[in-house]
Amino acid sequence: MFKDSSITEALSSYVAETAQMLALRLDASLNVTEINVQAQKLLGTDIVGRPMVEQIVDFMPRVDLPALIQGGMAQRLTMNTASGMPESVDFCFFPLPDGALVLGSFDFQEQKKLREEMLQLNGELNNLTRQLHQANAELRDLNQLKNQFLGMAAHDLRAPVGLIINYSEFVLDEAGKQLSEEHREFLQICLNAAEDMQRLIESFLDFSVIESGQLKLQLEAASISEILEGVGPIARMLAGKKKISLLMETIEGARPLQVDALKIQQLLVNLINNAVQHSQPGQSVWVSARSEPKQAVFSVRDEGQGLTPEDQAQLFQPFGRAGTKKTAGERSIGLGLAIARKVIIAHGGRIWVESVPGQGATFIFSIPAPEQTQSEAAL
Amino acid sequence: MNESIGISRFPYEETYRRYLDGLLTNNRQECRECFEQWLAASPDLRSVYEDLVRRSLYEVGELWEKGKISVATEHMATAISESLLDLTYPRLFAQPRNGKSAIVTCVANEYHQIGGRMVADIFELKGWRGYFIGANRPLAELKEMIQGKNPKVVAFSLATVLNLNRLLLTIEAIREAFPEVPILVGGQALRWLKPCQVEIRPGVKAVKNLSELEAWIDSETTKNHV
Repeated sequence: MFKDSSITEALSSYVAETAQMLALRLDASLNVTEINVQAQKLLGTDIVGRPMVEQIVDFMPRVDLPALIQGGMAQRLTMNTASGMPESVDFCFFPLPDGALVLGSFDFQEQKKLREEMLQLNGELNNLTRQLHQANAELRDLNQLKNQFLGMAAHDLRAPVGLIINYSEFVLDEAGKQLSEEHREFLQICLNAAEDMQRLIESFLDFSVIESGQLKLQLEAASISEILEGVGPIARMLAGKKKISLLMETIEGARPLQVDALKIQQLLVNLINNAVQHSQPGQSVWVSARSEPKQAVFSVRDEGQGLTPEDQAQLFQPFGRAGTKKTAGERSIGLGLAIARKVIIAHGGRIWVESVPGQGATFIFSIPAPEQTQSEAAL
Repeated sequence: MNESIGISRFPYEETYRRYLDGLLTNNRQECRECFEQWLAASPDLRSVYEDLVRRSLYEVGELWEKGKISVATEHMATAISESLLDLTYPRLFAQPRNGKSAIVTCVANEYHQIGGRMVADIFELKGWRGYFIGANRPLAELKEMIQGKNPKVVAFSLATVLNLNRLLLTIEAIREAFPEVPILVGGQALRWLKPCQVEIRPGVKAVKNLSELEAWIDSETTKNHV
């Protein structure tokens, strides 16, 4: 087109350095020998010295590069790029005596559109992340408010319920003989209901204290035998009431645990109470505690209905009651195991349940043992 | 940076320069490191917004206006800054609240939303809840949010003058639906506008910069304390 060689030179320089197009020189074996600046940016410099076909993303049907060159054809090809993202390039192939010249136009407009779309999506994602953080903060505030309310309500209910229990017991003890059988029964129902309510209030209070992050452990040295001895009388009373055999065993370790013994004992009583409530008269409940090198493991096993995997999954969540029924219609609000979990986590341990429906359930928790001193380890 | 970070010894200027270089070279990782270091060194979150993000974005904007960087670089710098703001959120949203809230939004067709987002964050810094609706959300969504959140103010961020008419139409619609809610208008576009061009109705106020916005928030925070 241009006869003047200086124009050809200028064009060549423009294609090599400035033009928004790709230019590749191939040798007779179709290896890339030279590339312009845009090709370097898009495809990377590693392509030089390698077969061009290696740079083409291999879709079906397979690209017949020699045919494209011989025919001097145009073809859109998808290329591997330096960024790792494949890009589509419209190529024109020009056969040369000792190889080929390949020119390609790259859709920069499409890139711009894609970039703007990405930016918009990035903005939307950022907004969603912000909304999520904000919603979490609002939920935390609401949760705190709920815990405060729960704590205050439970605290204010405790005193009047305590009065109802005390006066009901007093009347039953002091004046019970003067009452008719039916009236004594009514009063006993009142007393039972008030005691249920007291347990409920205590659970709410425990839960609100734990949830608001105010759970404080009074750590002290206690052996596992001491812990179990502390729960023995009440556990036997609970089991005896329902004619359940209670079997307890301990395998003591060399060193006492560092625990809030009172809280662990309350937790064990709750687990034993649950086991008893899910057992039929004549069945057994096993309580065991054994010391292992790095932890102490406590377990409470019953022969009740057992738990389905679905029940097990939600058991330790607040109000996550299982679908199984207690054998004597006992009441539960579903906070005991959630509280137990928090107490065990606060001790650095874990709690879990193993159960097969119809074959009872075993609740197990572990508490880390204190580290051995060097002199103890040497013994 | 290996040296321990202390409030007095923290190299703010050097970190700022590294951060700006990172923005201009699309080096997100470098920017993130600088941002995290700044965040760890600053007991006051305001410094991150004022001295790092706002300053660098203004500088990027100036470079773009002078033709020294491409629009692609400017877009990437904005995108990087915007995503890094997420790192402030665990601290930002954990601050004590005063019970007041604001809704901040951009008018339709505005793609530069970071200014609006930073305004919403400044409300949070001041103890308000700052709800942000991104660019190109329908007017109905904004109205629904005002209805649901009952904010003390609605703030608009206008990045380009081209969208002034759209903004004025939106203000009219909001004023009609919620006659009592104060409206603030801010953003880069106000550099080329007179306040009277946006203060088209009683209760609509133009806010030229972040200092003016903060002064407004402070006066409203002490007034009618909830």
